[in-house]
Amino acid sequence: MNLTTTLAWRYLRGRGTRSLLTTLAVVLGVMLTFGLNGILPTMLEAFNRNLLAAAGKVDLTVTSTYDQPFRPAVVDQLLKLPQIAVASPGVTGTVPLPQDANADSGALAQVTVVGVEVGTVSAVRDFALTQGRMLVATDATALVLNADLAAQLGLAVGQDLVLPAAGGTVRFRVVGLLTAATVPGAEQVFITLPAAQQLFGLGNRITQIEATLVAGTDRASAEQAVSTALGSDYQVGGLATESSMLASLQVANFSFTMFGIFALATAGFIIANSFRTVVAERRRDIGMLRAIGTTRRRIMGMFLTESLLQGILGTALGIAAGWAMAAGLLAAMAPLFSSVAHITIGGPQFSVTTWLTSILLGVGVTVVAAILPARAAGRVTPMEAMRPQLAEVYARKIGKPAWIGGAVLVISMFGLTTGSSALIGLGSVLFLIGIALVAPAVVNPVAEVASRPLAAIFDREGALARSNLQRNPGRSAVTVTAMMLGLASIVAMISVVTSIFSGFTSYLDKSLSADYLIIPQSIILSQGNVAAGPQLAQQVGATPGIGAISTLRLGKAEVDGGQVQVIGIEPTSYLKVASFDWNAGSSDAAVTELGNGRWVIANGIYAAQHNLVLGQAITLNTPNGAKVYHLAGIGNDYLNAKLSTLYTSQENLSRDFNVTTDLLLMANRTASADQAATKAQLTKVIANYPAFRLYESQAWRDQQLATFNSTIVIFDVLVAVLAVPSLLALMNTLAISVLARTREIGMLRAVGATRRQIRRMVFAESLLLSLIGTAFGALAGLWLGYALVSAMSAVGWQMPYSFPWGGLAATVVVGIVFGVLAALGPARSASRLDVVSALHQE
Amino acid sequence: MSKAIVEVSGLTKIYGSGAAEVRALDGVDLRVPEGQFVSVMGPSGCGKSTLLNLLGGLDTPTTGTISIDGHALGELPDDQLTELRRRRIGFVFQFFNLIPVLDATENASLPLRLDGAANAEDRTVGWLEKVGLGDRLHNRPDELSGGQQQRVAIARALSTEPALVLADEPTGNLDSKSAAEIGELLRAVSLTWGRSVLMVTHDPRIASYAQRLVLMKDGRIVDDLTLDGSREGPRQALERSGLL
Repeated sequence: MNLTTTLAWRYLRGRGTRSLLTTLAVVLGVMLTFGLNGILPTMLEAFNRNLLAAAGKVDLTVTSTYDQPFRPAVVDQLLKLPQIAVASPGVTGTVPLPQDANADSGALAQVTVVGVEVGTVSAVRDFALTQGRMLVATDATALVLNADLAAQLGLAVGQDLVLPAAGGTVRFRVVGLLTAATVPGAEQVFITLPAAQQLFGLGNRITQIEATLVAGTDRASAEQAVSTALGSDYQVGGLATESSMLASLQVANFSFTMFGIFALATAGFIIANSFRTVVAERRRDIGMLRAIGTTRRRIMGMFLTESLLQGILGTALGIAAGWAMAAGLLAAMAPLFSSVAHITIGGPQFSVTTWLTSILLGVGVTVVAAILPARAAGRVTPMEAMRPQLAEVYARKIGKPAWIGGAVLVISMFGLTTGSSALIGLGSVLFLIGIALVAPAVVNPVAEVASRPLAAIFDREGALARSNLQRNPGRSAVTVTAMMLGLASIVAMISVVTSIFSGFTSYLDKSLSADYLIIPQSIILSQGNVAAGPQLAQQVGATPGIGAISTLRLGKAEVDGGQVQVIGIEPTSYLKVASFDWNAGSSDAAVTELGNGRWVIANGIYAAQHNLVLGQAITLNTPNGAKVYHLAGIGNDYLNAKLSTLYTSQENLSRDFNVTTDLLLMANRTASADQAATKAQLTKVIANYPAFRLYESQAWRDQQLATFNSTIVIFDVLVAVLAVPSLLALMNTLAISVLARTREIGMLRAVGATRRQIRRMVFAESLLLSLIGTAFGALAGLWLGYALVSAMSAVGWQMPYSFPWGGLAATVVVGIVFGVLAALGPARSASRLDVVSALHQE
Repeated sequence: MSKAIVEVSGLTKIYGSGAAEVRALDGVDLRVPEGQFVSVMGPSGCGKSTLLNLLGGLDTPTTGTISIDGHALGELPDDQLTELRRRRIGFVFQFFNLIPVLDATENASLPLRLDGAANAEDRTVGWLEKVGLGDRLHNRPDELSGGQQQRVAIARALSTEPALVLADEPTGNLDSKSAAEIGELLRAVSLTWGRSVLMVTHDPRIASYAQRLVLMKDGRIVDDLTLDGSREGPRQALERSGLL
């Protein structure tokens, strides 16, 4: 080991507890960034597996961009490409299973029927039989399925499964059982392609092509070639990223990333502070090293090496802790996912990017934070070795950093007001840095004010404590800033979380005002949803006691290469059972407008993403070609709050998108109708539509709120994790400020201060610091939270700012309690100082 | 006359300006030949520490020239000055200034390791044995007495085979017995190992271990005499100059 590393390592070990505390800050920061980023890919992977399950050997899938069946000739088009080895056409559709009306909610309501071309499918999928035989080309009514699914459905080889078909029902005979395990949410049965085309009434059209690539072909370039060859009517790959669950995950990921960034920013500050202290404590050592011939560069190198070691250690531990946290959170969420979304999630998965980001951030933040202190160390003169400075070395000039801080604050505003989430993150970190720079300039006047109430309690010690703070604003500012950074990020995150949830709750209340909702069993993946023909709406509308009724239909369009869901509403009836939360300038008149031709209403996300203004023309690529629509209004509803969405009339949806089926029904009860009787009537109607469920809106709302609340718990845990570094920072700086004043405390004892008075003095000082830190933190946090919420609105997550009263109160209490707790140790050790040795301490 | 290790002429150091101006050194000329042990004494503020700092290249003079082992300090950039300190000058401080996290051998070998020398520790062990710490090679500073710590510091100063050892109040923090031992050791540095030693001290008894005594007052050299080894010599010289 060379000298620099030896010294760095020895020093790091030498200041044991303090190294540990500062390293812990890095650990927590890395843990959050790494752990949280491990959760999203895992969930995505679960979805992927869900959708492409069993498709073991498939390299590539082709589906219609508009979810439309397409000509089998596309297969030949595909096979002309040199990269494609095998292309197997298929049909996939979801059919409801006949269901016992009394069945519990866990019973399987639908299966995915996959029609496969017998000749080619074995090249793209594995069919390992445990019993019976595989499908042959001539099978018209034969069916194979996974053995475990068969068991769940109570089927055996030779028995029949009746499936609803375009005309009547078709009876399929189970001829083989497969060994593969069924992924919940992706229950599939396999029949021959012609049988499936017959079942779904598709003629000779197909819905998907699964293909394998020639060995050694690069997947990305192959996908590119296929896209180019087939044009924009087809999408290559498997998973469309527009399901609402994915959107939720993306919102969550944004918050998660912010948590990680805040934690690392706080960690960076704690480390910078810690190294500043360390440099101050080692001035004599540094002076000696300079005197005996160490270059400035080498001194800097020693401190940077020390920070590098600390960064590596902290990052390694943080990654381990992050892995454990991700695994723990996923394990905790697994039951929720499997019951609500029918999805199994595995262990955490970390992408190469996550690894790299975490390592770079963890090590990088530590080293960067140490740069300024290391430079300061390089500037220590060798004279320090001869005549050590007795005066404290913490005091620093206030002027310049405060001005820079002001400038940084101004720059941060620009970052926060842009639409890009990366800039919002950067802006908020800059804001915290700016506050940290400005803090020393304002600690003095604030201490003056804050100490008044304290003086009443602590008498003379209070005044002494205040003058301690004011005499060295640099040192006090460090403590206050550490506390402030921690608390500000907590308050800001609480603001954002509260606002997100209150936003959704308000959408929930406003946009879903119907008494009854009739929703498919699984509303999560729009691809898999079962739609109902017009007779369901007719029957519901004809039910005694039902007044207004309106339905939602779903189509998909492509705009500028991106996908958007198009919701069809009935302009005449929609507002009777639901409503929009309008953006400024739009009103209910926009809904009426939809009835007058090709008009759309955009939701906030879509409008923000495309910078739309009212009346603007939007060209939608529909299954029937490009059509020009105009924007009638901008408004949000609950169901689509997280997705880019356009609303148009059902008439337009039918004409341009060929969609005439209902995805969701909303109905009101007449004023005079009896609640129980109406529900009973409706239940009878719905019984014929096993894929749908009936909810009384209140119950559905309660269920949604319960989901929110369980999610909030996760956020609370994260906030708590974020609070730990600020406690550490406070304890650290307070302990150091006592250390730095050892002589002074010795002097006070020598001239007659009692142990009790010393203890009270340190205590008052800590309380004063934490009061100021908490006040700063709360104010900065409130502002930052407000800025973040507005910033997110600009991106399209329209949400009302909700003042986090509860979170604020909790933060203030926590801040002050931390202040008191942090003071206990230092106050005790200060009062126990040996007077003689304290005075002689150099 | 043997080769001069220290050659100083017209050395002036002024701190502050105007009314607050302090002339710490006021036209000092000094020549120290190879292997000579010089004590510098004088009341507080006489400029003796300033002189030492200037000789060590730790501070820069207002006017005047300093040459150490043939190198004119005023002409060297910081890195070369640093290298000169590392190779040709050894420092012994009042507060020992050992790195608390390194053991005796590691501390003493610091300058060699900074210089990237091979076998730094092996070469240092010899010096540690010579200063009487052969049985304390791997103790950390907090496991050594004050006198032992100062011996480590002296071994450190000698490890690079410097031409000049500068000692600033090397016994200021030691009891009288340890102080006498350090005095003897510095004498050996000069007589046995042939290094020039320049020591600033307040203690006339310790000053008496040197061969030559320089007395300073108000930034000037007021007396410069040869010592005969008598413990009382420096005290009498101070009395003669009215400095006691």
